[in-house]
Amino acid sequence: MQALERSPNLATAVVLATLIVLPFVVPATLASQIAIFATGALSVALLLGAVGLLSFGQGLYLGVGAYVCGILAKDAGMGLIPALLMATLAGAVLAGILGSVIVRRHGVYFVMLTLAFGQMGYFAVLAFKNVTGGENGLTGVPRQFDLLGLSIANPLAMYVFMAGAFFLVFLLVQRVIASPFGSVLAAIRENEPRSIALGYAVARYKTAAVALAGGIAGLAGGLHVVFLGFVPPSDIELEMSQRLLVIALIGGIGSPGGALLGSAFYTIVSEALSEIWPRWLALIALLLIGLVLFLPGGLWSAGRRISALFERKTAHE
Amino acid sequence: MSESTKGEPILIADSIDVRFGDFQALSGFSMSVQPATIHALIGPNGAGKTTLFNALTGVRKPSGGRVVFNGHTVTHASAHRRVHYGMSRSFQVTSLFSALTVAENLRLAVQARHAAEGWVFWRGPARRRDISDEVDALLTETFLTGRADTRAGDLSHGGQRSLEIGMALAGRPKLIFLDEPLAGMGIDDVHRTKGLISSLSSRMAVLLIEHNMSVVLDISDRITVMAAGRKIAEDVPAKIRTDPAVRAAYLGSTA
Repeated sequence: MQALERSPNLATAVVLATLIVLPFVVPATLASQIAIFATGALSVALLLGAVGLLSFGQGLYLGVGAYVCGILAKDAGMGLIPALLMATLAGAVLAGILGSVIVRRHGVYFVMLTLAFGQMGYFAVLAFKNVTGGENGLTGVPRQFDLLGLSIANPLAMYVFMAGAFFLVFLLVQRVIASPFGSVLAAIRENEPRSIALGYAVARYKTAAVALAGGIAGLAGGLHVVFLGFVPPSDIELEMSQRLLVIALIGGIGSPGGALLGSAFYTIVSEALSEIWPRWLALIALLLIGLVLFLPGGLWSAGRRISALFERKTAHE
Repeated sequence: MSESTKGEPILIADSIDVRFGDFQALSGFSMSVQPATIHALIGPNGAGKTTLFNALTGVRKPSGGRVVFNGHTVTHASAHRRVHYGMSRSFQVTSLFSALTVAENLRLAVQARHAAEGWVFWRGPARRRDISDEVDALLTETFLTGRADTRAGDLSHGGQRSLEIGMALAGRPKLIFLDEPLAGMGIDDVHRTKGLISSLSSRMAVLLIEHNMSVVLDISDRITVMAAGRKIAEDVPAKIRTDPAVRAAYLGSTA
């Protein structure tokens, strides 16, 4: 019944097929954005799906990754891969430090702390205007990157790079969830007091998961900067945290594959709606309400229901 | 098994105080548990038995007193740290990973003892044959072999109580705390679980909270009687059975 969740190979195939089909269905630049926000949403989906932690502040780590990547590429002349690695590291280190404090609180208090820290990023950007560019963003980040001697010049090459980065992170998250470490995270999600009684250092495991998710968000921020050629301050605003959460929920947190479906849906729909009506976010809100009421597992679970129907059919034959 | 095996106690609780606001749940409570014995803790509801368990296992830090376990002073050690010293517990209210299978519940419990294994993120758990062998042994010991792939939440009440004990055993403790392991069990399950508990004392010390008096009097080496947060008696079962103070406070009223 839960074929898509039980079999990582099937989930991988679905994700790979989606990534291949995407540039033929939508413009390559839109496809790149889908892959970038899917990576960001993976960080939310990992925390919520694997550990049961609701973070309202993943935009902070995405934003920090974006600024670190932008500043290093612009001022230090750092190459593509090193700058992205530093963005990942920055997101992970900051999330690890803040996380070690946040994970000691539970439920609503945990969520409020992620929200409060998430808010602080934007004000930090304004406060350090001469480094970050303040409200205008950080402009002048080089747009030409080489990867192993190949230049990433046209939109399709850019998409291939973004899709490859998302796919690597997807495989990593899938691997982690199915590992002994992932099983401890599932244990914490299911019953935290019992996990402690078994001898697991729960706070340390949660901090590690928060740091991992922060690293993923940081990478997504770096990718966004590579794609745009500048750092928009909106990357570190609260709206970004919100967007990542909405994408993760639309896609479904039961599998890391949901992040891609959610991002594709959100990005395409918001692109289409914004041309019709400037208040398109209201429609996204309505969509989200409908989804929560009628498809609580997100788009990914729709695929699962269809495959369940199919399995039942074949079982009858 | 006899009272003459007086060595160094595995656990010493020294004048433990626990208070909840204005309510003094435990006052100056002292006791010690000998290795390889079954030590029962009885007393009417509200006597402070589970509170004492929580204080000894680190769930609720005592406001006064000292806990010494196997030579280590653990009064302020965290709950998960004490597990690695060799304490392990089952819960009065069944506390399992209900959505996971019985085998996975036990595997998580065994894995917790192999501290480094929980940090492995680059491969699946199946690689560790030693852990899965241990899980199989625990399934046999707790009569759950046929239910290995059942969701823990779908087990019968008796099955869940057995799994509860199995998960505590997985820690290979030097002292196992069992909080009402027989509560709500059917007569067959009680009989089997009683056999399991009495077999444990060859490998570890057992500290047992239990209301089933016939079982307690039958399998315990020593019994401590609590009432209103204090110890009112402690002796071998034969003496406890006839102790007038105990009869007045407890046995007389309920058994």
